[in-house]
Amino acid sequence: MTAETLKRAPAVHSRGNRKQARRNTLIGWTFILPNFLGFLAFTLIPVLAAFALSFMEWTSFSAPRWVGLANFQRMVQSDTFWVALRNTVLYALGHVPLTMALALVLALLLNRKLKGIGFFRVAIFFPYITSLVAVAVVWNMLFSPDSGPINQFLHAVGIANAPGWTSSSDWAMPAVIITSVWRDMGYYMILYLAGLQAIPTELYEAAEVDGASPWQRFWNVTLPSLRPTTFFVVVMLTVSSFKVFDLIVVMTNGGPGRATTVLSQLIYQEGIGEGKFGYSSAISLVLFVIVLTVTVLQFKLQQRRER
Amino acid sequence: MTNMAEDLKAPDLEDGVPSRGGAISPEDRRRSQRKMSTREQKKRTTDVVIYGVLVVLVVALMVPFIWMLSSSLKENNQVLTVPIQWIPSEFVWSNYTDIWTRIPMMGYLQNSLYLAVIITCLQVLTGSLAAYGFSKVRFPGRDVLFLAYIGTIAVPWQAYMVPQYIMMQQLGLTNSFNALILLQAFGAFGVFLMRQYYMTIPDELCEAARIDGLSEYGIWARVILPLSKPALASLALLTFVNTWNDYMGPFIYLTSNRLWTVQLGLRSFVGQFDAEYAMIMTGSVISVIPILLIFLVGQRYFIQGIATSGMKG
Amino acid sequence: MKRTTLAAIALAVTAGLGMTGCAGAAGPAEPQAQEGKTRLTVSVWNYEGTPEFKALFDGYEAANPNVDIEPVDILAEDYPQKVTTMLAGGDTTDVLTMKNVIDYSRYAGNGQLQEINSVVDSLDKDNLAGLDAFDVDGKYFAAPYRQDFWLLYYNKDLFKAAGVEDPADLTWDEYTALAQKLTTKGADGKTVYGTYHHIWRSVTQAIAAAQNNGDQIGGDYGFFEDQYNTALGLQKSGATLDFGTAKSQKTSYRTMFETGQAAMMPMGTWYISSLTQAKKDGKTNVNWGLAPMPQKKSGGDVTTFGSPTAFAVNKNAAHSEEAKKFIEWAAGEEGAKAISKIGVVPALQNDAVTDAYFKLDGLPTDELSKKAFTPDETALEMPVSDKSAATDKILNQEHDLIMVGERSVADGITEMGKRVKSEVLGQ
Repeated sequence: MTAETLKRAPAVHSRGNRKQARRNTLIGWTFILPNFLGFLAFTLIPVLAAFALSFMEWTSFSAPRWVGLANFQRMVQSDTFWVALRNTVLYALGHVPLTMALALVLALLLNRKLKGIGFFRVAIFFPYITSLVAVAVVWNMLFSPDSGPINQFLHAVGIANAPGWTSSSDWAMPAVIITSVWRDMGYYMILYLAGLQAIPTELYEAAEVDGASPWQRFWNVTLPSLRPTTFFVVVMLTVSSFKVFDLIVVMTNGGPGRATTVLSQLIYQEGIGEGKFGYSSAISLVLFVIVLTVTVLQFKLQQRRER
Repeated sequence: MTNMAEDLKAPDLEDGVPSRGGAISPEDRRRSQRKMSTREQKKRTTDVVIYGVLVVLVVALMVPFIWMLSSSLKENNQVLTVPIQWIPSEFVWSNYTDIWTRIPMMGYLQNSLYLAVIITCLQVLTGSLAAYGFSKVRFPGRDVLFLAYIGTIAVPWQAYMVPQYIMMQQLGLTNSFNALILLQAFGAFGVFLMRQYYMTIPDELCEAARIDGLSEYGIWARVILPLSKPALASLALLTFVNTWNDYMGPFIYLTSNRLWTVQLGLRSFVGQFDAEYAMIMTGSVISVIPILLIFLVGQRYFIQGIATSGMKG
Repeated sequence: MKRTTLAAIALAVTAGLGMTGCAGAAGPAEPQAQEGKTRLTVSVWNYEGTPEFKALFDGYEAANPNVDIEPVDILAEDYPQKVTTMLAGGDTTDVLTMKNVIDYSRYAGNGQLQEINSVVDSLDKDNLAGLDAFDVDGKYFAAPYRQDFWLLYYNKDLFKAAGVEDPADLTWDEYTALAQKLTTKGADGKTVYGTYHHIWRSVTQAIAAAQNNGDQIGGDYGFFEDQYNTALGLQKSGATLDFGTAKSQKTSYRTMFETGQAAMMPMGTWYISSLTQAKKDGKTNVNWGLAPMPQKKSGGDVTTFGSPTAFAVNKNAAHSEEAKKFIEWAAGEEGAKAISKIGVVPALQNDAVTDAYFKLDGLPTDELSKKAFTPDETALEMPVSDKSAATDKILNQEHDLIMVGERSVADGITEMGKRVKSEVLGQ
């Protein structure tokens, strides 16, 4: 809708068009300037500096030394890097769709006028604000292979060989994913709530007049209207999944062995942990390229849909 | 037309979709008397089912928080017993009085509050301004710049932490709140969120306002901002929570004890070889309260439907 | 209108906070160094909760009234990360406390510390435990002020109840048998374990290395085998809490011992001061004693492992000379006396210091405890080398896998060797 409106903008005389364009540029820049200055100085430039570091070796005392692609070579040959990459992708593949779906379901559920709905909304937000340490301890207890409630429940319904969860290399990542979905769905539910609130009721009224069932109304009115919100949620979820750090450290610290070691952890360990700033910057550059590619793909998909 | 403008509560929704709309004529009312009660019955059952689901959900969600609460009332060496003790064998209420003297908790709370409020205000303000520029104004290079914004979100902070630190050291801003404010108030997240939201606001509104003679800034202040209350509230809430819970930032940049935030204060209970978990949980419970308050207050802004201003007619 | 009122409130709150915020509300502003006094900065961790620093600083200031020591308080959990970042930014803190030898080797290797051979030469080198660890090709970049080593804590009451003698002169086999004997199920259904092995890899690996002369950064780890078999055996027989549970629930070794859930516990000497404090505060009433670590054979020398804590001078220090003088004092007799008074084991070991230490209220004074305090040989917990950090990481990861049962002992040891050789030693 938006793109079409802009396309249909009347063609203006070329001289006026240029003047208008220049005015637009000026106006555009005044709007973004306050944020952009801070962003440029304190985020963009350090990020670019970090990327530059990936082609250097710097142990922080002497000056950085140019080494070209040596860090990347080392990275490709490092077993741990591939393990971390695989774990990160697995985590994202599990975390993104589950969280998104649940957040949407919760938002739909809670976007109504019921007595005490406010309390429920707050309660769903609790996991996100509970101390991470508490979350890790309790969930690890829940996942306890012998005495934990989850496995006891599985035994009760007849599953004999219950997973070892955080004590097992195979099941540690699913355990972490479940915990993180539980934790994040409240956070993204808020975004969906805001998006749902923005849908004008006339659209629903019109659909109802046309005789649409609730499911049809959801599919043809709610979902399309939520597209910008969904796009935002998906992008943010993907990016934050690739960057996951705190929960892993607190819950399994990358273990058992390296079963849940992720890229951000590797970056931190190599950089701040061992002082190999050049190498860790190389890993972050690769992470960045991966996430950027995925995000751009999502952008393109979104643009095509909007057309 | 329906009285949407006066209805400041959530529209009457079923599956997220309004189930009623429009005025009802007396004939319809009489004719649909029986239908209404069946409908009402159906709604009531749905309500009960929903309540049931929500209650189960809430219990499941609050389990760790309950552990947090119970741990805050135990002795340190009673917290991590195996198996987990849900109810403390003895209630150590003194934890809640001791924590204020063990560490300068009040001071830490004030510091956290100061940082969170300033960063949230700046982030919301500059973010929504920039978002308007990125969504409603066309100028060359706009999309490339925006991509750069999103790009940096993709980089984990651990990666550029050291270059930032060196920059701050050169500016003499280490060991100060200003370092954190500068680093976190101009983030890409706020811009991205608001831009997406603004894109759901039809351009006709802006056109109409332009025709009415409003400048771009006027449009932003008078038309866009009021319409985007839910998104602004979301951004404010999320920024506040993130700043409040941030550990690494304050850890790196706030060296002096008097500047420490709550998260740093709580971590000081983690000693070299062991941790005072009861105290950590006590502090965590206390630090959660401001967030809950903010959420309860901000919640009202999620409920608020779209105000009239130009949407009707 | 609602919006303006809210905005007004927000503004007022912000302004009000601004007054407090700018200055920092959690304490008084730093006192500026008085006229004529030298301000010496020392990086420490958890200043409030680590009394040894205050003891040292107060003692030094009393002896040197023209010096004002200012601690740079860093949280213990992430201490090395912050110091690394600070040094990367060119920080000028004078004295840097070396929390462990792994970090020391890194900073020394990076050239971030000043050479202090002159300081070390003036110290009582023969009686300074752990000094060798800081020797890098004949140069010293730090001097130890504190030495912790490992011994066996045991619960006297539980021993008496089971009718067994105090754990003197144990071999590992005797230790295992004892642990199994002491494992009981209490009336409330709670298990009392014969022993508790904390999740750190040192509990198994470092003692194996110490007692078998093994090299933990060598790439060959066959010498771990017996110790792992012992540890896993204890786990399987239920004589100790299983590793998976202990790790995932962040079990606290203090909790296990102080609540009487473990009859024995190998642990480091740093626990002594907090245990005596906990007893004094009434938080526990465990009747505890000390014994030497179990050995391979009975009747011989007592070998254990330990780790020194040291002070170093920052290459970019603002007051290098004063820093060196402080280190000389702290590693010397005066510093040793100051910290032994509060139950912290100093690096300097001689009779005067040991006597002062055992005067501490609450310390067990029986013969066995005193014997535990003087092991014949204390090996380094981890060798000092630029390869230590990376090796430590790999050993930790494989330790996890062996202890949760995902890898057999033999496979785990092979994998450790393979990974260290390829990833760290570049072979």
